[in-house]
Order: sequence, then structure tokens, then C-alpha cells
Amino acid sequence: MRNMQLTVGILEKGRVLATEDLNKLLVTLGRDRCKACFRTLFEHFAPRLKSFFLKVGTNEEVAEELIQETFVQIWRKSHLYDPSKAAASTWIFTIARNRRIDRFRSEKSFVYRDDQYFADMLVMEEQQIDDVYRGELNEKIKDAIGLLSANQAEVVRLSFFDDISHREIAQKLSLPLGTVKSRLRLAFKHLRTILKEMDQ
Amino acid sequence: MINHHLSDEMILAYAAGSLPAGQAMLVRCHLDMCPHCLQRLMDAQNVGGALLDELPEMDLNEGGFDRLLAQIDDMPVLDEASSHPDHTGVVEGEVLAASSSHGPDMPALLHDVMGHGFDDIKWKLVGPGIRQFILPVQGSEGEKVRLLKLSPGFVTPQHSHHGSEITLVLKGSFCDETGRYKKGDIQEADDDVDHQPIADTEEDCICLTVTDAPLEFKKMMPRLFQPIVGI
Ligand SMILES: [Zn+2]
Repeated sequence: MRNMQLTVGILEKGRVLATEDLNKLLVTLGRDRCKACFRTLFEHFAPRLKSFFLKVGTNEEVAEELIQETFVQIWRKSHLYDPSKAAASTWIFTIARNRRIDRFRSEKSFVYRDDQYFADMLVMEEQQIDDVYRGELNEKIKDAIGLLSANQAEVVRLSFFDDISHREIAQKLSLPLGTVKSRLRLAFKHLRTILKEMDQ
Repeated sequence: MINHHLSDEMILAYAAGSLPAGQAMLVRCHLDMCPHCLQRLMDAQNVGGALLDELPEMDLNEGGFDRLLAQIDDMPVLDEASSHPDHTGVVEGEVLAASSSHGPDMPALLHDVMGHGFDDIKWKLVGPGIRQFILPVQGSEGEKVRLLKLSPGFVTPQHSHHGSEITLVLKGSFCDETGRYKKGDIQEADDDVDHQPIADTEEDCICLTVTDAPLEFKKMMPRLFQPIVGI
């Protein structure tokens, strides 16, 4: 059994929702169509997704619409969620990302349409990874992101949330493109090193 | 055995969804063949998930969850009985149907875009030993997605780039000043790279190539050649 103390809880309205709890809620939603679980997931993720969608420079109305669309997808697809493949937040991130692409960059939505496919393919390669591991992993990544230098964390956040290319990040920060790329590389290397250590 | 993989930047940008259509398509084709990069993609998406969890919470409009419930109440769960992972619409059904017949060489997504395999491509000769087919993928401004077929024994005119050029080998192999690239390998060439690829076996080399600015050919027939190539 891995050290469960690594799981840092998320305090919300007096409740502590750890990664493990979120994963279980999503599994139960998929299995039992549990509306109480759906509500708890909504209360946890919808306010964060609002930040996510507003970062693309859209207005409130569109952000709210995209949240609705994301949760409709979560409802429809939750029976496909497998906690051994990804944390609930990762799974929901990919759905929200694809909704954003559909709305703002529809020319490439054909690439992202069938993303679940990859998750399934990977498991064939890797076989079983236990749920506890995935739960820990998510917390570990959060810790690792906290350890990145401010410069590295900045480019990683910009690349994930602002929907801009690395060239545009370079312009925004008045940096050479090469510097942006090398910061991203160093950040990703650092994060992956921490992930690898967990495998041992 | 794949020796040349996607860069971290490409993986991160794909995970974030910020690549233009052509590059995203090429990345996906490589992921189809490469478990190593697929694992890296999963790591990158985990980073996205962890960051999402840390975004500040913003107030929602009143009644959002009730509106959601009203929407889903009449909605069936899609394909719950199906063992297949993902069906969110008719088009995906088509993609999956196509992918079962795409043959060993062509990645499923490419097959889906083309509508057929390598044998039915209408190549256009663009220079000695070089044929191309421009794919109908509309990417960002200036982005061009093409299949290139290099015949053995011909040297591609030396060219350099103002933007970036990313190449995925689908069949055969080529080599240039930077190394040898076989099926599944990726070459990312930046502004400063100046290269001269050559198919280095008996076999034709077919590549998927995405450029984000026109290529600039150096030596061979510079004025004559460029308009013909149209690249
Ligand atoms: Zn690879």
C-alpha cells in the first residue's frame, strides 16, 4: 500500500474532496447514474471550468454554455471512465479541452474527436495500474508543479489555458521562441522525472 | 523501432489543444504508432488535469445545475451496452469503420481524411523524383499539409525554412544531414535548418509533412522550381 498521506485534500464548502474521492464519484456516476454524485462533481469542477473557459477570452454567457456542454458529455460518457487510466480531473480536462476546440477551433475538431481511443490503447501496452497510484499521481503532479521555477510554471500554465501557440507565448512575454521552448522542455522533463520516480 | 520522437513542446501543445489542425493531425498519426509518445501524452494530460484542479473557482450563474438536469433528463446514455470505447456521434462511427480497413501503413486518421489508402493517391510531380499530394486540411494561416513521395536516387533540392517543418515518415526511409528517418520517425526542422533529404533505400519514401510558411529552395532551379512545386 502506498503512503496515503500524500493525498492532499481539497477543502470545499466544509468538505474535503481528495483526488480519490473525485475519481470514485465519477465511477459511481457512470455505474449508477447517481445524480447526487453528478451534483458534487458539478460543484467541484464547474467553478474551475469557468476560469478555464474565460481564459480563452470568451464572455460569461459562452463560458456557461461550454460548462453545460462539458457536463452533458460527462453525463453521457461517464460509464467509459476508468480510474486506472486517468484521474477524474484529467479526464474532465480532456473533455473541456475538446469542447473548447469544437467551439473556437472547429477546423481541428476532427483530430480530437475520438480521444478516448488513446486511453484504451495505452492500457493494452501498460496493463494494470492500480487506482491508488492514479490518485497519488495527481497529487504528486500538483506538488511537482509547485516546485517548478516561476518562469517554467508560467509558460506551462499559459500553454494549457490560454489556447495560444508557443510563438504567441513568446510574443506575449517578449521572449525568443527558443527560450519559451526550452522552459517548456525543462518543466516537462522535471515533471516526468517525478512521475518516473513514482514507478519505482 | 522508432528512433526519432516528438519533442516535449509538441506533446505539450497537443495535450493543451493549441496546435494548428495540420500539426495536430500529424502528432496524432505518430501517437497511433508510438506507445512511448502516447505515455508522454498521458503525462502531459495529467499535468493539464492537475492544473485544472488548481484554477480559481469562479461564481456560476444561478440555476446552472438545474438547467443541466433538465437537459439530461430525457437523454439516454450513449451506447452503454456497446463494448467499444467511444461513440459520441455518427461521424465517429465512420472513423472507426474506416480505421479497420486502413491497412498496415496508413494511420487511421489519415485514412479517414483521404478516404482511401496509399495506392489511390493522385500524386502530382513537382520536381525530379518528388511527388506531392496536398491534403484538404485547413489549418492556421500559411499552414500546409501534404504527402510527399521521394523516389530513390533523387536528391530533394536543398531548402531552408522561415517557419517550421515537421515530417512523419509513413513508408520507406530518408536521410539528410541530420540523420536517418524510418517509418514512424519524426523530424522537426526549425527556422535555422537547411537540409537535403534523400530516399535511401530501393523503396519510395512517403512522408506526411506540415509546414507553417513557404519552403525556400536554395540551389536547384530556384526561380523555375518554386512555382512548379507551389510550396
Ligand atoms: Zn514517439
